Amino acid sequence: MWLTRPADDASLLALPLRLTLIHLLLRPMGPWPVRAAMLGLAAAGLLSSRVLVAPATWLAFAGLVGVRLVVEWPLPDNHIYLLAYWCLAAAIALAGPGARPALARSSRALIGLAFACAIVWKAGLAPDYLDGRFFRVTLLTDDRFADAARLIGGLSEQQLQADRRYLTALPEGAELLDPPRLVEPRRLRLLAWAATWLGLAMESALAVLYLVPGGGRWETLRHLALLSFCAVTYALAPVAGFGWLLLVMGLAAAGRGRRLLDGAYVAAFLLVLAYSEVPWAGAVLSLWPGSGN
Amino acid sequence: MPIEGSWPRRWAPALPAVLLVLVAGAQMTLAHTSALSPWKGGGFGMFSTLDARPFRYVRVYVTAPERSEELAVPGSLEDAAAAVAVLPTAAQLERFARAVAARELSHGRPVDLVRVEVWREEFAAGSLAPSTRILRQWAHRVAD
Repeated sequence: MWLTRPADDASLLALPLRLTLIHLLLRPMGPWPVRAAMLGLAAAGLLSSRVLVAPATWLAFAGLVGVRLVVEWPLPDNHIYLLAYWCLAAAIALAGPGARPALARSSRALIGLAFACAIVWKAGLAPDYLDGRFFRVTLLTDDRFADAARLIGGLSEQQLQADRRYLTALPEGAELLDPPRLVEPRRLRLLAWAATWLGLAMESALAVLYLVPGGGRWETLRHLALLSFCAVTYALAPVAGFGWLLLVMGLAAAGRGRRLLDGAYVAAFLLVLAYSEVPWAGAVLSLWPGSGN
Repeated sequence: MPIEGSWPRRWAPALPAVLLVLVAGAQMTLAHTSALSPWKGGGFGMFSTLDARPFRYVRVYVTAPERSEELAVPGSLEDAAAAVAVLPTAAQLERFARAVAARELSHGRPVDLVRVEVWREEFAAGSLAPSTRILRQWAHRVAD
């Protein structure tokens, strides 16, 4: 039965598949029946190599994630859609001959297309990205970026609170006697500028590198770009799940296994885990209170 | 036995990528036609715009004889309110307004009309001066 008997080279995919299961265990998702089934299946996959590489396992994951997307629509984040596509790609690859090259092709396409869509939004459809408004406002208003805004942007806590008052819209016709002024230190403007343009440049490069076919040096560039993107982006962006998924797909996109490459991806996976669990910017600020300004 | 035959062997691996493109295309269309927040819906528009929660939010008003007030969104309806803010279609607004009316009636509070407003906060280029506007509004009259 093709659903339970995987392709001959399926064991070569064990590492990215195992990392996917760890990701699913670290970020349980969905309504309780979906969550319980996914946790049970993920644990079974980690304990049994047979379950790990069975196409039925990954088809079940794709179905469960799909159920979550339908039940909670339109609220799930984009990486939940990507997770569903990835699980489906794994099921299809494991059910056919040559699982490794098939999943490598699917992974490259999914990474490239996801970044291409992101570029369409940032550079084409969104009216407030290229002029810097998105990151200028986000750094000041999103609690998850507050430590970085203070540590890297050089804002004091008082300035941050005053800026938040400035960015709070008043009811129509209302006017404050002493309205707050917007304070944006040069370092903060520079941080917003870098987040805007370096983000766009890195994502554009990744879209091109993954959508244009090529091996050898081109493939090395792909891995370097993806690993660098994850190491930089997820130090600030509070979406570890997206980072883990990109890393898992990046690893699967490698045509053949190489110890150094495997090690680099596992290290990056752990780095993203550390970013998500250790409030490093807040810790630096509390150890050296003057470091923010 | 692995998947056999030339057609599925050749095309099945392309299915996830095709799904991604179709869903992303639908998301971009819905964002344009139905005010779907670019952050949601599988089009990968996250971290590209401020057109998302918390800069989109829902306000609810109820009216009845001797009663006209704005309600805080109750905890039990927070997810529904978030879904309305993200995708304020007529169907979503009506479903949410009905849920608010049902909750009020179940608590013994009179309600004739539920009005739902989806607001958006925007920021001026350069100065970042904030302003607000109504994105969608909806009224649901409670049947006797």
